[in-house]
Amino acid sequence: MNLLVLMIALPLLTAFLLSSINRISTLAARWIGPLVLLATAVIGLSVWPQLGAAPLALQWGGFQAPLGITLYADQFALLFALAMTIGTLLLWPRSAENQLRSSSLALLLAGTGSGLALSGDLFNIYVFYELMTVVSYGLIAGRGTSGSFASTLRYLVISGFGAALALAGIALVYQATGTLNLAQLAQLAPEKLNNLQGFAAFVLMLIGFGVKAELFPVNMWVPEVYATASSRVSALLAGVVSKLALLIIMRLLILVFHQPEALTVLLVLGILGVASGELAAWRARDLNRMLAFSSIGQLGVMFIALSIPGNAGIFAALAVMVHHLFLKPSMFLLAERWGGSIEKLAGAARTSPIAAALFVLLALSLIGVPPLPGFWAKLLVIMPMLALDQPLYYLAVFVMLAAASLEANYLFRVVMKLYDKQPAATSHKVHATADLATALFLGGGLIAAVFMLVPLADRLDSIAAQATDVSTYIQTVAPQQLQSGRVQ
Amino acid sequence: MTALDTLLLISAITVGVALLAGNWRVGGWLVTILYALQGAALLMMSGLGYSTLTVVQSSFSIEVLSEQLLWRFDALSWFFALITIGAGLFSSWFASGEWGERYRDNGGSLRLFHGALALNVFTMLVLLASGDLLTLFIGWELVSWASFLIMALAGGKAFGYAMRYISYAFAGAMALLGGLLLIYAEVGSFDFQSLKEAAPQMQASTLWLLVVLLTSGFGVKMAILPFHLWQAKAYAQTPGPGAAFLGAISSRMGLFAFIVVVVQLIGISRLVEMEIPFTFLDAQDLLAWIAVFTIIIPTYIALRQHDARRLLAWHGVGQTGYMLLGIVIANDLGSAGGLMHVFNYASYQAMLFMVVVAVIHRTGTSDLNKLGGLFTRMPLSYLAMLIGIIGLAGLPPMNGFVSKWLIYRSLIVDGSPLLFLGAVIGTLGTILSVYKLIHNIFLGQLRVEHVAVREAPLSMVIPMMALAVIVFVTGYFPGLVLDWTSAVQASIGIPVLAHHLGGVSMKGGLDMIWIVSVLLIGFGFGTLVFFLGGRSRRVHQLDNYAGGHFLTAETRYHYSDNFYPGLMHLIGPWYRNSFEWLERGVISAVDTLSTAMQGLYRNAHPSYLLLAAVVFALSWVIV
Amino acid sequence: MDILDINIILYSAAFGLMLIGIGGIVISNHLIRIIFGIALLEAGANLLLLLSTYHEGASAPIIVDGSVPAMMADPVPQALVLTAIVIGVGILALALSLAIRVQRAYGTLDMREVRLKLEQEISENAGIEMPSSSHAPAVTTANSAAAQQESGS
Repeated sequence: MNLLVLMIALPLLTAFLLSSINRISTLAARWIGPLVLLATAVIGLSVWPQLGAAPLALQWGGFQAPLGITLYADQFALLFALAMTIGTLLLWPRSAENQLRSSSLALLLAGTGSGLALSGDLFNIYVFYELMTVVSYGLIAGRGTSGSFASTLRYLVISGFGAALALAGIALVYQATGTLNLAQLAQLAPEKLNNLQGFAAFVLMLIGFGVKAELFPVNMWVPEVYATASSRVSALLAGVVSKLALLIIMRLLILVFHQPEALTVLLVLGILGVASGELAAWRARDLNRMLAFSSIGQLGVMFIALSIPGNAGIFAALAVMVHHLFLKPSMFLLAERWGGSIEKLAGAARTSPIAAALFVLLALSLIGVPPLPGFWAKLLVIMPMLALDQPLYYLAVFVMLAAASLEANYLFRVVMKLYDKQPAATSHKVHATADLATALFLGGGLIAAVFMLVPLADRLDSIAAQATDVSTYIQTVAPQQLQSGRVQ
Repeated sequence: MTALDTLLLISAITVGVALLAGNWRVGGWLVTILYALQGAALLMMSGLGYSTLTVVQSSFSIEVLSEQLLWRFDALSWFFALITIGAGLFSSWFASGEWGERYRDNGGSLRLFHGALALNVFTMLVLLASGDLLTLFIGWELVSWASFLIMALAGGKAFGYAMRYISYAFAGAMALLGGLLLIYAEVGSFDFQSLKEAAPQMQASTLWLLVVLLTSGFGVKMAILPFHLWQAKAYAQTPGPGAAFLGAISSRMGLFAFIVVVVQLIGISRLVEMEIPFTFLDAQDLLAWIAVFTIIIPTYIALRQHDARRLLAWHGVGQTGYMLLGIVIANDLGSAGGLMHVFNYASYQAMLFMVVVAVIHRTGTSDLNKLGGLFTRMPLSYLAMLIGIIGLAGLPPMNGFVSKWLIYRSLIVDGSPLLFLGAVIGTLGTILSVYKLIHNIFLGQLRVEHVAVREAPLSMVIPMMALAVIVFVTGYFPGLVLDWTSAVQASIGIPVLAHHLGGVSMKGGLDMIWIVSVLLIGFGFGTLVFFLGGRSRRVHQLDNYAGGHFLTAETRYHYSDNFYPGLMHLIGPWYRNSFEWLERGVISAVDTLSTAMQGLYRNAHPSYLLLAAVVFALSWVIV
Repeated sequence: MDILDINIILYSAAFGLMLIGIGGIVISNHLIRIIFGIALLEAGANLLLLLSTYHEGASAPIIVDGSVPAMMADPVPQALVLTAIVIGVGILALALSLAIRVQRAYGTLDMREVRLKLEQEISENAGIEMPSSSHAPAVTTANSAAAQQESGS
C-alpha cells in the first residue's frame, strides 16, 4: 500500500528536482520524467489486482482517520490515477524550447492528478485540485503565444471563481458536520447534510469542480483554451483531467450528497451541456474548436449518466468516461497537424491515409455506431434512463439522440473533406510519428475493446460496484466507529 | 456449422476477396463466383422459402449486457436474402467486364467498389439474420454505413449526396434506437418473442410513440414521405452497377425491418385499434396514406427528371410506396402483393439501371435530352429496357403486373376506393415517365455523335438478359414467387394467399399462364400478319418526312426537352419543391441555434458567471 | 441575542465579500479589477471556512500547563484557511503576471478587447474568417448548398 504514495510523491519530487538534474546532465533530465512516470505506472499496475478484493486506505503521517489525511484507493480511484499517469506519459509534452519547464509541469500534473484521484479527504481534494489547475495554467500558457496567455487568463478567471465557490461549499460542509474526511462525512451525511444546506454545498462544489469537468455554465473557457493550447495539452485536459474532476463529483455523489435534487441539477446541466456543445460544434469551422465543443457535449453526456440514481448511473458514467479517455486524446493528437480551417483539410487523406482512417474510426465510435464501444457506452446511459420513466429523463434521451445525429453530421463533414479531391497547389502536413503512433495506440484500444466487450463490461461493473459500496469505504478508512471530530 | 453460418462466412470471405483482389483482372469474376456460392449456400436453406423449415439458427452468438445476441434466418429473411444476393451477383457480374476496366481507367478503385458492394451484401445478410431487437439495430447501422460507403465512392458531387443520406440515415437510426430502447424499457428484453407477447398489453400512448419512432427510423431508409429527399440523388450518383444494386434492394431493408417489428411483432391489428383523435382514421390508415403519397409525389417528380438515372431512382422511391401499401393493408392479397413487388421491382429496377449504365458506357451521357434513336445501335439493351418498363409500369405480361394487381385487388377487397385511386394515379405517372425514358433514349432520331455506337459488351448484356428472363418468367408463372411470399406470410402470421403456379386461386382470381398465353398468341398472330400480309419497305432511320418536308439528321424532330408540358403546367405547382422547405427549415433552425450557442460561448461569459452567482445567492438565502 | 448578532455580522461579512467579489468579476471589464474580484471572493470563502466552527468566547486551541480550556476553537479550519490563503496568493500572483503578458501582447486590459483580439488571433491561426463578422453565415453545410443547387432539377 505504501507504494501507492509513491504514485503521488515520485512525480512531484522529480518535478522539483528536474532543474537540478538538468545542471548535472541534460540527457538525464530529458529522460527521467518519462522513466519516473513509467515506474509510477508499474507501481499502480502492480497494486491493481489486490485492490479487486478489497480497497485500501492509508493514513498519511500516521494520524488516525478523522484527523490525519487519508488516502483511499479502490480500483475506481486507481483507474483514474493510472489514466493520469499513463496519459501524461503518452502525451508527454514535446516542445523544443521549454522542454525542462513543460516536463516539470507534466510531472506535477501527473502527481497532483494521482493525488486527486486517491484522496479521501475533502480539503486534500481541494488542494490537489487547485494545484492541478495551476499546473494546467502553466501548460496552456507554456506555448508562449499571446493567444495562449490571454486564454489562460480568461480560464483563470473562471477557474478562480469556481475554486472560491468550491471552498465556500467545503466551508458549508464543515460547518454542518465538523469533518472533511470523506468516510466520516459518509457516516454523517444522512442526518446532517440531507437538507438545504447540504444541497447548497453540493451546488457550490459542483460549480467549483465542474469548471474542469466542462460543466455547462462554467465551461466558457473550453473553446478558447483548446484552440490556443498545444494539442497534447488539449488532449490531456479534455481527455484525462476533465475525468478527474468528474471523479470527484462522483465520489461526492456516492458518499456525501444523496439529495434527489442534486441529481436533477446534474441532469439539467448535463442536458444543457450536450445541447449547447453539440450545437456549437455543428457550426465550428476549425477542427480544434469543433473538438472542444464536442468534448463539452460528451462531458454533458457523462453528467447525464451521473444523474441516474444508483449503481447503473455510476456504471454508465464510468463506461462513457473510459471510452472518452481513449477517444478524445487520440482525436486531439490528430488535430495537431490538422488544426485550423476544416476547408483546408481537403484531400488530406491522400497525404496521410492512416491518420484519416483512424479519424473515421474515432468518429464512428464517438457517435456510437455498433459494434464500436461508443455505442455500448451510450446504450448503458440510455437504457436505465428510459426505465426510470420520468419526463426529464425522456428529454435527456431525446437530446442525446438528437445530439448524436448532429455529431454524425459535423464529424462526417470533416471526413468528407479529408477524402475530398485535393485542390492544386496545397500541401498537407504529415503527422509526427510519435503523435500518430500514440493516436493509433489509443484507437487500437477501442478496437480491442470491441472484442473484449463482455469481460470489459464485467470489469467496469465490478469497479462501479466497488465505488458505490459506501459501507466498505467507511470500514476501510476507519475500522472503529468514528466519533464526530468537532471539538467543542 | 449451420447453413446460415456457411452463408455468412462465404459473404465475409467475399468482402475480403473483393478488397484483396478487386483490382486484378479476374478479381471481379472471382467475386461474382463467390456471390454465386452465397446463392448456393442460401439454397441450402431453401426449405425456408417453402415452409418446410421454419428457422435456421446461426451457431454464433454473444452475450452483451446480459442480453443474448442471436442471429437466425426465417422465411422473411430468406426471401430478402435471395433478392439481395441476386442483386449482388448480377451487379458484380455487370461490373466485372468492360465497365470495370473503364472505371479503373478513369481513376476509380475497383477494389473499393467491389469491396463496398460485397460489404453491402454482407451487412444486409447480417441485418436479415437478426434474431432480436439489438442485433436488428446493429445490422441496421452496419447497412447504413455500408451504403454510405458505396454512395460516397464517386467523390465530388456524390459526397454531398452521401452526406445528406447519412445525416438522414443517422437521425433515423437514432429515432429507431430510441424506439427500440423504449421497447426494452417497456418489455424488459430485446427478445422478439417478449415484444410479441407484450404488445397487446401496451398503452396506446406508448404504442403511438413507438410507431412514430420506429416508422420514422425505418421510413428514412425506405425514403417514405417526408424523408424521401435523400434517396434519388444519392443512388443516381453511385457508380453504375452500385446504383443498380442499391436501387434494387438497399432501401428494402427498411421494409424488412418494418415488417419484422411493426407487422410481425406489434401487429397490424394493434395499429387498427389506434384511433387518431378527431378523425375517422387510425394508425393503419395513416400509414396507408403515407404510402400512397409516397407513390404519387416521387413518381411525378420522376416525370420531371431529365437524367435517366435520377428518373429511375425517383421511381424507386415511388415504388416503395406500393410495397408499403400492400404490407400495411396486411390481408392475404395485399401482403403477398407487397412482398412480391419487392422481388419484382428488384428484378426490373436492376435491369433498367444496367441498361442506363450501358448507355452511359457507350455514349457517355445519361441526359435524356442528349440521347435518342439508339434502338438501331443497341437493340438488346432496348429489348431489356422495354421488358423493364413494362414491368415497372405494371402491365402484363411482366411480373410487375401481378404484384400491382394483387395490391389493387387488396385495396378493393379492403374497401378503400380512395387509396385505390391514389395508387392508380401513381401508376399513370409511372407509365408516362417510363415512356419518356424509353422514347428519349431509344426511339426517335439517332444523334450524329452516336452513329458509331455499338451494342453494349457481353458482360453487360448477359446480366440484363438474365434479369429480363426472370422478369418475364416470374410474370408468366407468378406462382414461383408466390410460393415464397406465402411462406413469408405464414411465418409473420398473416393469412396465407391461396395460389397456384399461374396466379391466385380465388373468385375472380388471376391466371397469368392463361393471360400471357393469349397475349403471346395475339402477338404471334400479329407478327404473322406483319410478315406475311402487307408489303413493307425498309427505310433508313433518318429517311423521314414531317409536314411534307424532308428531314435530315441536322433537323431535330426528336423532341425530348420539356416533356409533357401541359401536364407539367397543370400539376407543377402541386409538388414543386415539395418538402424541401421542410429540410431547409430544419437546417436553418439548427444553424440558428448553433450560431446562438457559439455566440453564447464566445460572448456571454460574464452573464453566465452572473447565473452562477444567482445560484450562489439562492444557496445563501436557503442557508 | 448577542451571540446571534455577532454571528450574523460575521456571516454577512463573509457572504458580502463573496458577493462583492462576484460583482467585480461580472460587472467589471478591467482585468485587474476582475483579478481583485477573485481575490475578494477568495477572502470571503476563507472567512466562511473560518466561521464554520466559530464560537464566541472560545480560546485558542493551545493546551497550556496541561489545563484544557472549557471551550476551544476548532483548529482544523484555521490550518485549512492557511493553506487556502497560500494557494490564493499563488494564483493571484500568476494571474497578475499573466495580465502583464496579455497587456504586452494586446496592449489592453479591457476584457472585451482581449476577447475580441483573442478571437481574431484564433481565427487567423486557423485560417478562417472571424465567426462574428457580418458576412459569416454564407454556406452552412454541404447539404444546404447541395439542396439549393439541386432544388431546380
